Amino acid sequence: MTAEVRPLSILIAALGGEGGGVLSQWIVAAAARCGFPAQSTSIPGVAQRTGATTYYLEIMPVPAPELGGRRPVMALMPGIGDVDLLLATELAEATRQIALGFVTPDRTHVVASLARSYIMPEKMAMADGRLDDTRLAALVARHARASLFLDLEALAYESGAMVNAIMLGALAGTGMLTIPIETFAAVIAEGSRAADANLRGFRAGLAAAQRGQSEMPRSPTKRWRLGTADLATVEAEAATLPESLRPLVIEGIRRLAHYQDADYAWDYVERVKRAVAIDAAAGAGGKLAQAAARHLALRMSFEDVIRVAQVKSDPARLARIRIELGAASGDPVRVVEYFKPGIDELCSILPPALARRILALAERRGWLGRVYWGMHIKTHTVAGYLRLKALAALRRYRRKTHRFQAEQREIETWLAAIADAAALSPPLALEIAECANLIKGYGDTWKRGMANYRAIFEHVVRPALARRLPVAIAADAVANARTAALADPDGVRFGATLADIEKRTVLQVAE
Amino acid sequence: MERSFKHEVQSLKLGDGEIFHGEGILAVTKALLQSGVSYVGGYQGAPVSHLLDVLVDAKETMDGLGVHLETCANEASAAAMLGASINYPIRGAVTWKSIVGTNVAADALSNLASPGVKGGALVILGEDYGEGASVIQERSYAYAMKCTMPLLDPRPDLPSIVRAVEEGFDLSEASHAPVMLELRIRACHVTGEFAAKANRPGTHSALNKFNAPAPHDYNRLSHPPVTFVQERLKVEERLPAARDFIRAHKLNEIFAGDLDEIGIVVMGGLYNVLVRALLRLGLADLWGQSRIPIYCLNAVYPLVPEEVREFCTGKRAVLVVEEGHPDYIEQQINVILRRADINTRVEGKGTLPPAGEYTAEIMLKGLAAFLAAARPAGVAADAIVKAVDALIGRKDEAARDVGHLPARPPTFCTGCPERPVFSALKLLQRETGPAHISTDIGCHSFATFAPFSMGNSILGYGMSLAAAAAVGPNLAKRPISVMGDGGFWHNGVITGVVSSLFNQGDGVLIVMQNGYASATGQQYLPSSAGARPGGAATMDIERTLKALGVRWLKTVRSYSVATMAKTLRQAMTTKAAGLKVIIADGECQLARQRRVGADDAARLAAGRRVIKARYGVDDAICTGDHSCIRLSGCPSLTVKPSPDPLRTDPVASVVDSCVGCGLCGEVAHAAVLCPSFYRAEIVRNPSWWDRAIDRIRRRVIARLGGAAGTAAA
Repeated sequence: MTAEVRPLSILIAALGGEGGGVLSQWIVAAAARCGFPAQSTSIPGVAQRTGATTYYLEIMPVPAPELGGRRPVMALMPGIGDVDLLLATELAEATRQIALGFVTPDRTHVVASLARSYIMPEKMAMADGRLDDTRLAALVARHARASLFLDLEALAYESGAMVNAIMLGALAGTGMLTIPIETFAAVIAEGSRAADANLRGFRAGLAAAQRGQSEMPRSPTKRWRLGTADLATVEAEAATLPESLRPLVIEGIRRLAHYQDADYAWDYVERVKRAVAIDAAAGAGGKLAQAAARHLALRMSFEDVIRVAQVKSDPARLARIRIELGAASGDPVRVVEYFKPGIDELCSILPPALARRILALAERRGWLGRVYWGMHIKTHTVAGYLRLKALAALRRYRRKTHRFQAEQREIETWLAAIADAAALSPPLALEIAECANLIKGYGDTWKRGMANYRAIFEHVVRPALARRLPVAIAADAVANARTAALADPDGVRFGATLADIEKRTVLQVAE
Repeated sequence: MERSFKHEVQSLKLGDGEIFHGEGILAVTKALLQSGVSYVGGYQGAPVSHLLDVLVDAKETMDGLGVHLETCANEASAAAMLGASINYPIRGAVTWKSIVGTNVAADALSNLASPGVKGGALVILGEDYGEGASVIQERSYAYAMKCTMPLLDPRPDLPSIVRAVEEGFDLSEASHAPVMLELRIRACHVTGEFAAKANRPGTHSALNKFNAPAPHDYNRLSHPPVTFVQERLKVEERLPAARDFIRAHKLNEIFAGDLDEIGIVVMGGLYNVLVRALLRLGLADLWGQSRIPIYCLNAVYPLVPEEVREFCTGKRAVLVVEEGHPDYIEQQINVILRRADINTRVEGKGTLPPAGEYTAEIMLKGLAAFLAAARPAGVAADAIVKAVDALIGRKDEAARDVGHLPARPPTFCTGCPERPVFSALKLLQRETGPAHISTDIGCHSFATFAPFSMGNSILGYGMSLAAAAAVGPNLAKRPISVMGDGGFWHNGVITGVVSSLFNQGDGVLIVMQNGYASATGQQYLPSSAGARPGGAATMDIERTLKALGVRWLKTVRSYSVATMAKTLRQAMTTKAAGLKVIIADGECQLARQRRVGADDAARLAAGRRVIKARYGVDDAICTGDHSCIRLSGCPSLTVKPSPDPLRTDPVASVVDSCVGCGLCGEVAHAAVLCPSFYRAEIVRNPSWWDRAIDRIRRRVIARLGGAAGTAAA
């Protein structure tokens, strides 16, 4: 043989605990059966604990006997621009290898999973911190010589195997290594307890790779609501609204009808109409109405104990849980809910006068944020289910509750602000509408969100509407404040941002 | 243990000429048995944990050879073990993770090296350096120099590694100095093969004991006045003897090349990186035939001046490829050449980076720089530099294109019993303000990463409490020290607890009692429940602390977040003086799942009743604030797109990997988060009663709920 033969270099990018070590053992074993000199190495350390880790392999595509007793000097780590094949069990990890210089258009074939295992900062974000999967996939496609995307997670689920077995199948399917498919199959079918599952996984990966077409990240499936007969008139009314708004508004109508009743849904349509009028008057091109209509539906279906009970006692929900558990129709399933309402939650479903008195008392006694009723409700028991039903039944008194009336006031103030802002600048109005996104959750989360929302109104929106903050920068100011409010739960950046805006406001007055 | 080595154990039995296939560190284990060791010991730690783990599984093989195996309490006891070879002509080897383990072993090492050994004594160092390392970046080389212990750094290739082990013992016996053998992370895990030799029992061992103890010989003691004599012996007799052996047995290798006006001196462990870099520059072939002469130091200490002189004579310049700081080898080479008045220019640090791992990329850069400076005839240096720059330029471009990608550090496993403790700590600090947290080595140091991002200092394994000794007196609030049971037994009980009690320290100590040395692969500890078969009776942390005189001592189930937070609050606020210890009790979930998983599978197969529990999030109730994730960080608690057509933020979601540890519920409860979480249990192989009651319940509930209710509110 001549010096031209060079080992095929394979880099495996995986997460600790996915069995990347076993995967490389399989590959080396398969190579050995063909008499190909092969070497693998890794840097597991503690990365085995779900951290990003890599395995590196080199395989001489020539049987040892043909090398005339010579032993190749194999590398223990990949060289930049020197990798033939990257196997990535997670999409972001594939792009990490690109940044390290291990994926180059002249050399590197990539088999990457479309499945994402979100990195902590993506999960921790107070809103949506996820990386753009489409962008990640595009990066791989752009930098690789050839790329094959597979949803390893889905394949693993369907075949009941681990991703490493699927990946071995995919590798065999690429035909990159001059190792016969049967050889891989023989290796993976050997010994281990999970041999059958592994083989199933292998076949699944193989088939997927041979199908070859790169699936792109799937768009999330939304759970649209079904209509009911009594809503016909309300939905008919919605037909008078702009085409683009309709699906959203219909969803809002059905949501609010289920949340409260048809009349409430009607109120919603009326409010949407106002938003549409504001939008038209300001020439916002429908974007303002869109945002307002979406947030309106969410704000009007605010999360109170009644709604939670409605959701928890919904038969469809129990059916979903059974499916998630893979429960056969005969299998007993038990569901325990974790509730811990505080004084606020209690008062939210009391008449305003009473609620205000209790809250005032609790305030004086310092009970707020300290007194809670922890309960574990067993939804699968009759007693537990009845408790949920009883709570859900309070729906018909909701309009009379403290929280309901408070929310309606907030919503009107918000709509009014949007209207006033639209007259000054549509972008500002849009930003104000989006502020509704800060109000979400329960307990402390809701309090924090509400406080931030009010602070933005106080320190940015009002000054802007009162022309104390130049209209030119007002929209940006609101947007910045909103982003800052979602930057950290302790409100460090939010405080700084508000202070900064305050300065500019004051300055304006001074001038 | 995390990994079973039943298969590897077989390869430890291989006889003459049979081919061993496996990892580097396991090849070392086989090489030890081939070398006739009488005893082996060590302390686990990546990348050498497997050396011990496999021996533990290979008990019967070991007994057959009469090899004594000691899984030592720490590296100091491992190093002290080599004391057996001071008086007796028996071979022994110990292993640990370096640099940290060598630091712990330092006292015993000095006292071992001073009198020297009769039987070969070998220290296998897992040089935890570079990518994948989990400790401070320092070189073990300093210890070799100051203790006058030869240091081997073989080529990362199984035959070379095995040879190094075998010749290491001979070297030790020829020089009467204990010998160190360092293996980098990738070398420990590199797979390969070598022709095995039959194992041989030690000259003396459990099978063939000495009848009488060694006679009293003052020269064998590291005690004045002989220590002065021993110091001279080390320098005047053992070093020269070691050099002669290294030279005579050609431990170091010279690979000739036609560009002999220059040369490269490389540490054995870096040989492959070097040759492959040369290959890419067209200066070597795949078989190691290099155009530039290479002097490969498989023995990096002591250097052999004659060899260095011979290699450098007649060369304009040599490049010293020496990883890490300081540049010990480069300095020695300069001195050797200077003394011999040889004017070969020595390039090293400067041409190559002064610190850090020498990766393929670094090596390419360094070689290009060296060639550009040395300009050997017949090499287009400028073209090479251009090519390398282009390569690196492309990489930087790619990196810019990818943009910011958050790091993905390791974290607590799903269901880890240590995570809830930090959830509680986070809740406590949210309530009472930040506390000084003295961190330690072990899985719990993952709490230094998001979402917890806790910890003020890490001073070493079992050092957290001692590291807070002077913090407390200078801080308004009591410091909190976190220590694992591994660190506790490794030395925390003395270094930390005893010292604190002795000085009436007033701190808070959390001991994570998960039952194993988990980060290194669930090796057994003195306090492991039902320790290794044949192992000592298990010790008890609580009883130990009581015996030491700890008065404020509470054991809390680690998953009980609310109770843990309450107990922590008490510990921080109580008037009681002295050390306050909280034992956070919860078995390592990895180990537990391995056990429980097998049990459940068996019960299911046998048609017996099994309850499987997992947690879930109602995606119609979750509004996507993710507070729960910020208080947990569990791998099985992640996010998914909201199914709500009106919501854009992703909602929390519990994936199938959930082991039902209960933290989600505990946190949601303790932190008053939201009512989204639920616990769902499925009863497999239900009893007739399970079925009956379930049937009734479902019928009644169906009535109550009716068929009404759309998908979800």
